[in-house]
Amino acid sequence: MTLLRLAFGSLMERKLRSLLTMLGIIIGVGSVFAMLAIGNGAKARVLDNFDGLSARTVSLRPQWMGNRSSQARPYRRFNETDLRDLAALPDVEFVSGNLQREETVVAPGTDWTTSVVGSDAYYLRQRDMEMSDGRNLMPEDLEFGRTVTVIGTAASRRLFGQSYPVGQVVTVRKVPFEIVGMVAEKDGEIGWQGDVNDFILIPRTTARSRLFGNDWLVRNQIDNIQVVAKDQAAVAELQRNIDYLLRRSRGLSAADAPDFAARNFAGVQQRQAESTRIFTILLASMGTISLIVGGVGVMNIMLVSVTERTREIGLRMSIGARRGDILRQFLVEAVVLCGIGGLLGLALGYAASQFAERASMQRGEALLQTVTDVPTAALAFGSAVIIGVAFGYLPARRASKLNPVEALRHE
Amino acid sequence: MNPEMITTSELRKTYTLGGQTIHALDGVSLSVPEGQFVAVIGASGSGKSTLMNMLGGLDSPDSGSVEINGQDIARLGQRRLARFRNETLGFVFQSFQLMPRQTALANVALPLSYRRPKPTDAREKAAAVLGAVGLGDRIDNKPTQLSGGQQQRVAIARALVGDPKLLLADEPTGALDSQTSEDIMQLLVRLGREGLTIVLITHDLEVAEYAQRVITMRDGRIIEDRMNNARVAA
Ligand SMILES: Nc1ncnc2c1ncn2[C@@H]1O[C@H](COP(=O)(O)OP(=O)(O)OP(=O)(O)O)[C@@H](O)[C@H]1O
Ligand SMILES: [Mg+2]
Repeated sequence: MTLLRLAFGSLMERKLRSLLTMLGIIIGVGSVFAMLAIGNGAKARVLDNFDGLSARTVSLRPQWMGNRSSQARPYRRFNETDLRDLAALPDVEFVSGNLQREETVVAPGTDWTTSVVGSDAYYLRQRDMEMSDGRNLMPEDLEFGRTVTVIGTAASRRLFGQSYPVGQVVTVRKVPFEIVGMVAEKDGEIGWQGDVNDFILIPRTTARSRLFGNDWLVRNQIDNIQVVAKDQAAVAELQRNIDYLLRRSRGLSAADAPDFAARNFAGVQQRQAESTRIFTILLASMGTISLIVGGVGVMNIMLVSVTERTREIGLRMSIGARRGDILRQFLVEAVVLCGIGGLLGLALGYAASQFAERASMQRGEALLQTVTDVPTAALAFGSAVIIGVAFGYLPARRASKLNPVEALRHE
Repeated sequence: MNPEMITTSELRKTYTLGGQTIHALDGVSLSVPEGQFVAVIGASGSGKSTLMNMLGGLDSPDSGSVEINGQDIARLGQRRLARFRNETLGFVFQSFQLMPRQTALANVALPLSYRRPKPTDAREKAAAVLGAVGLGDRIDNKPTQLSGGQQQRVAIARALVGDPKLLLADEPTGALDSQTSEDIMQLLVRLGREGLTIVLITHDLEVAEYAQRVITMRDGRIIEDRMNNARVAA
C-alpha cells in the first residue's frame, strides 16, 4: 500500500515524462485488447454458424460455362438420377433436391407472391426447420405427383391472416393444392432472400409436371441439390466423391473445368474466419511490438530514474532499507507505470474496437464483430503488468545493488 | 565505566587509484563507551568518512573488525545489517539528504517505514521528535521551504526517530554558518547528555570542542586521542 503510494507520488512528480513513457504501453495494450475483442467476435460468429446443418451441407448448383461453345449447352442441369447416385455415396445422411420459382399463390379472397419450392421431405430438415401442424411431404407425395403443400408461417399470415391454414386450398397457376401442414416459425433471420418463413413447399414431381414444366433436354431436372454429410469431418472427403461422381456421369476428365459448383458453407465461413485471423495477427504483432517498444521505454526511463535518485537510494539504505525493499520500490513503480498505461490502453482499445465494428457495418451487419468482456480486458491489462515486471526488473535490480557509500556521494 | 558501544581493532582499507595505493584506514583501533560524545578531526583525505562508513556498516574493511553494541557487524548479512542500521544507528550527513518533495514529517517518519514490525504511530512519533528538535511548527513544510539549519534539524530528527543507540554525524555543520552550527552543536550536546553515543566527524576544531573526547586522524591513522576536560566535567 505504502509502496503503491510511493510509486504514484514519484510518477506524478514527472507527469509528462511518465505519460510519454506509457505511450508504447497504451498503444500495445490497446491493440492487444482490440485484437482479442475482434478475434473473440469472429470466433463467436463462426461458432454461431457452425452449429447448424450448414457446416455439413454441400450445395450443388449448375455452373454457367460461357466459353464452351462447342458443346452447345452452356451448362447442364441436375436430374433425379444424379440425386439417387449422390444419396448412395458413403457418409451421406440425406440429400434434398429442389426447384424454386416465385409464383403468385391464390387463396380465397387474396393472393400473395411467394417462393414456391418443389422439393421433398428432406427440404425442411436441411434448412433446420420443423413442422408445427399437420404433416410434412412424404415419398408417396412425390411418387404420385400429389397436389399437396406445406406452408411457411409468413406465407400463411399473408394468405390466411390468423386463421388456421391446414386443410385449406391454395391455387398456383390454376392448380389447386391442399395444405397438409404448416412449418414452425424459424426466428430472427431475415436473410438476403427476405423472410425465411415466406414460402410454400410442394412435391418436386408435381412442380415439374403441373407448374414449371419439364425440361425436354434434361428429363426430371433439379435446380439444385443439398447433400448433407453424417458429420462435419466427412465433408472434405464427400466433396471429393461428389466431384468424382459428377465428372464421371458428365464425361468430364479431371482436367476439365466443371459445369457444376459444389460449395460447403463451412468452407466459406472458414475463409471468412481466415481473413479475420489475418487481421487479428496484424493487431497481435502490432500489439506485441508496441508492448516491447513500450517495455524498453519503461526500462530506459526507470534506469534514468535510478540514476537520478541514486542519493535517495543510498539514504534509504543508510536508514535501514533492505536491498529487497529497494528492488520492490522500483519494481512497483515500473508496474504502476505500465498499469496506468494499461488502463488507458484498455480505453483506447475499447474505443478502437467499437469504431471498427461501426465502420464495418454493411446492411445492418458488422463484418468485424467484437466481443469485449472482462476476461479479455484482464488479459490485455495483464500483459501490461507482465511487461512492467519484465522490463522493470533490471533497473530495480541495479538500484538494489548500489553501493550505499557511493550512492550517498553521488551528485 | 560504561560498557563499550564501539570497539574496532586494526581496521584497514586501501584503495588503488591509477596504480597508486591509498591507505584510507591504516590500522585503526578504537573503543568508545556508551554515552560518550566523540569528535573525529583531521585534514581532508585523512580517512574520517571512511571510518564512519565502517562504523555504520555502509562499507566493509579489508581487515580488522568492528563491533557495535556487542555485534560484530562485518559478519552480519545484508538483511541483518539493514535491520541493525534501522534499529541501532542514526546517520546525519553534511548535505542533509532529505527527500525534496516530501514534508518534514514524512522525511522524519521514513526510517520507521523500514522497521519490522511496522509501528502504527509513526507519524505521531515523527511529530514528537520534530518538536524535540524545535521544529514543532514546521512539520508540514518541505525541505525547500526550510533554512539550512532547519533542514539539518529535520535530518537529525530523522536519525533520532528510531531511538538509536549510536548517532553517526559526518560534518553535520559543514554546510552551515557559524551561528547555525552552534545551534546544531548545542542540540547534539543535549542529546549526548541524554545518554546517546555520538561520533561526530568534522575538520573544524571549534566544532570538535563541543565533544567530550577528540580523536585526530592523519593518513588513515589515529595520531591523537584526548579527553576534552571542559566538556567531561560539564
Ligand atoms: N571509493 C574510493 N576510491 C578511491 N579512493 C577513495 C575512495 N573513497 C575514499 N578514497 C580515498 O581514501 C582517503 C580517505 O577518504 P575519506 O573520504 O575517508 O577522507 P575524509 O577524511 O573524510 O576527507 P574529507 O574531510 O575531505 O571528507 C582519501 O584519500 C580518498 O581519496
Ligand atoms: Mg569526509
